[in-house]
Amino acid sequence: MKEVKVEVIGTEPPCMRCQSAKKAVEKAAEKLKQSGLIVKIEKANIMSKEIVQKYGVLVSPAIAINDTVKVMGRVPSSEEMERMIKEAIE
Amino acid sequence: MKEKTKRTIRSSLILAFVIIVIGLLIYSRIQAYSLAPTSTPIELRGYPLWAIPIVYLYDYFSHGTICLLFAFTVAGLIYEFVPKEVITKYMGSSKAAGYGLALGIAPFLTVCSCTMVPLFGGVLYAGAGIGPAISFLLMAPAANILAILLTGELISWELAGVRIIASVTVALVAGIVISKTPWGKAIEKEHQINSADQKSAKVEIVKPPLDERLWAALKFGGYLAKQILPYFILGLIIVSYLEAFLPEEIIKEYLTGVNGVLLASVVGGPLYTPTLVEIVLGRGIWVREGIILSKGALLAWLMGQPYDFANALAVSRIAKWKVVLTYMVIAWAGSVVFGLLYGTLSESL
Repeated sequence: MKEVKVEVIGTEPPCMRCQSAKKAVEKAAEKLKQSGLIVKIEKANIMSKEIVQKYGVLVSPAIAINDTVKVMGRVPSSEEMERMIKEAIE
Repeated sequence: MKEKTKRTIRSSLILAFVIIVIGLLIYSRIQAYSLAPTSTPIELRGYPLWAIPIVYLYDYFSHGTICLLFAFTVAGLIYEFVPKEVITKYMGSSKAAGYGLALGIAPFLTVCSCTMVPLFGGVLYAGAGIGPAISFLLMAPAANILAILLTGELISWELAGVRIIASVTVALVAGIVISKTPWGKAIEKEHQINSADQKSAKVEIVKPPLDERLWAALKFGGYLAKQILPYFILGLIIVSYLEAFLPEEIIKEYLTGVNGVLLASVVGGPLYTPTLVEIVLGRGIWVREGIILSKGALLAWLMGQPYDFANALAVSRIAKWKVVLTYMVIAWAGSVVFGLLYGTLSESL
């Protein structure tokens, strides 16, 4: 069983677009689960020092797959997320 | 192959839509008919009280729909296609680059208020320091692309241009001044983290295919419209009564001249909501039958917004109140100075 870590990096309290981004990731995770892939979703605060130290300045909402930021400042579709997560483990 | 054709068709369809929207705006320009409401106070007063907003809204939307459609479409497209990585990559590299990016790119990125405060924090933490961070923060609401487009279409392009120049100047001055104050330096020290080259993780932005990006741009434009339009319409309803019942004499007496500039700059801030209502309201107060009663006061009113309270509150969570207070005073002084200057120079104080 393979495992992927997906961080949804947004504002705290979450803004609307950050919530939509998280929903897209959750939907993709649900689908990937059926094909035997575990997606661990973590919520991260874009304003926290740890995140800025790790990734630098980001535009919210951002999505990082296995510690690499792939999406920044936009809300991806769940299909796109699915594709990206799959590509990340290949 | 089939997938590719599908994507090309989708991209062309969306592009065609964008071209039609832009074409419509240009066409309306060539026809030279006003995109703003044309009802006069006397006409409005002739209707029963309840009907005034309806008449005004109808008047507005029969003229202004193209303008709004254009503004939201363009804002969505620019937001999607402006290279966000450039900001995040170079914002921390040097002070000059920081200021340049803050002033140059902020207007395109910050149509959505939820990106603004996080970016402020990021810029402050990641190395460019408090100066560019403050410049960015002040520049963002004052001269974002939607605000400028609507100021131009609803009031005048001259005023929109002056608004940009004034905002850039005030934002730059505020940033530089605050970076020199002891309390500004203290905040910078407190928040500075080790330089960005120690980043343990990577940023590799994946660019989706063109059709998806175009679609996302339109969707974002729609999202902005959904956020802004309810307030915008509420603003128009208030304005319809203002235009009908606020006598020109009162405006001329209290809201023009030096007093007008001062009053406009003071009231403009607290009343500001990030919804572009200030443009409609400003129009409702100072524009009568196509003539601006006081360009100076109107500019001061429009510039008053960066020291609104909602923003200040969010920022004060990161920076201390002293910093917030300093930039509010500078922004206020800036709106007064530019209001008076522009009013005097254009002989419309």
